[in-house]
Amino acid sequence: MGAKGMRSSRLAWLRALFAAPPLRPPGARPEREFAALCIRCGRCGAVCPYRSLVPAGWEYGSAAGTPVVIPRSVPCYLCMECPPVCPSGALDPITDKRAVRMGFAEVNPDTCYAFLGILCRTCVDECPLGEAALIQDGQLRPVVLEGCVGCGICEKVCPTLEPAIVVRAATGGVRP
Amino acid sequence: MSRPVLLEEPRSSAQRRQWTRWRRLCQALVALFYLLLPWLNVHGYRQVVGTLASLKIGSLDLTEPAAGLAAALGAGRVSVVLLVGVAPVVGLALLAGPVFCSWVCPWGLLSEGVDRLHQRLLPRPWRERAWVRVRTVRWAMLAAALLLGGLLAMPLAAVISAPRLITSLPLEVIYLRILSPVTAGLLLALLALEVFGPRRLWCRALCPVGALANYLRFPKTLAVRFAPERCLCPRLPLCHLHCPWGIDPRQAGRFDGCSNCLACVDGCPSGALTVGWGSPVGRQSRPRDDS
Repeated sequence: MGAKGMRSSRLAWLRALFAAPPLRPPGARPEREFAALCIRCGRCGAVCPYRSLVPAGWEYGSAAGTPVVIPRSVPCYLCMECPPVCPSGALDPITDKRAVRMGFAEVNPDTCYAFLGILCRTCVDECPLGEAALIQDGQLRPVVLEGCVGCGICEKVCPTLEPAIVVRAATGGVRP
Repeated sequence: MSRPVLLEEPRSSAQRRQWTRWRRLCQALVALFYLLLPWLNVHGYRQVVGTLASLKIGSLDLTEPAAGLAAALGAGRVSVVLLVGVAPVVGLALLAGPVFCSWVCPWGLLSEGVDRLHQRLLPRPWRERAWVRVRTVRWAMLAAALLLGGLLAMPLAAVISAPRLITSLPLEVIYLRILSPVTAGLLLALLALEVFGPRRLWCRALCPVGALANYLRFPKTLAVRFAPERCLCPRLPLCHLHCPWGIDPRQAGRFDGCSNCLACVDGCPSGALTVGWGSPVGRQSRPRDDS
């Protein structure tokens, strides 16, 4: 993670004005490179059996029309169908879901039921990467580990009104 | 054929429409394909996916070259996948010029329809609005789209591409069940240009897809050829009137935008125009009695 390897776009400030970096499909190149390479052909969106990938709106500026994942609507189920169909190299053709680096989940201790003393382990149960990514600590509270790939399933299933676990988009790239 | 023929019997109207009939069939099949494809995807068939920007048929990749070039320029690198996908489409443009525009592109079909409605429904000043001269505009617009796209680090030529947008719309509506404001907004803007702008401005001057295919053309390609000794209408050439691109086929050069739609061949009463392998007519064979 981090800003290493991310060249600042000449007009990155323009995009920053509009919206936070979106959650990209698995295998996505770093954000700037992704927006430059993605030709908006829709192949990744059409091959996704869950309809997780929707075109970004105008608020994303020059990235409008590129595929984004909106976890609270439909998260990525890591079926790994989309990376190999990308024709332009915007998605690296990875097939191992553990190599995905879409983002990283963050728990909000102020709203998470487990932190408030209510028994809840929905996110831990639903995490597709299991113990590598999301475990419970001694007080049965969720703890996000290094193995989190940012698929957003936890954000989707969180029973609170505003999700207490949210995926922050990574700067992009594939885990080595 | 070098056999001198002074007067040939006029061809029947059925004969004179044959190329256009095949072309309409081809255009309609492509449009139907892109309408049905998302529906197939909905029902779990995902061996064929994509739009006119890029289509995957099994393991075959077909990527639109202007979009590919824009992506390569924006990112400063070219991937092998992209080169492989672009190759067959580039090959077609090299050998036949921008045939894509008149035989494949669903936006082209729509644009021809709008133009025809203009000719039928609108008052004379609308109908008689001159064609814009495109010889320089076209490559300037292509260069501008590629340069600006590179500057903004986005494949602008793919983003604004009407062929892509009109095939993205059914995919998004039928498969994703959403109406993207980006796709819909850009399409509406293009439609407004089509309805209120100069005749067929997008296809002839602005479309990066058609422009790139036009300039990729080899010196010798599939082309309309002109036999001046057979031409019967030097003053008011029917072929020129029939051309949906506003080109005079008797004078068209290599980069003048002829997309081999063959409407001129269909419209020529004397058989002076034929389609074949060779250089486009060019200026060397311009009829001497013209102006």
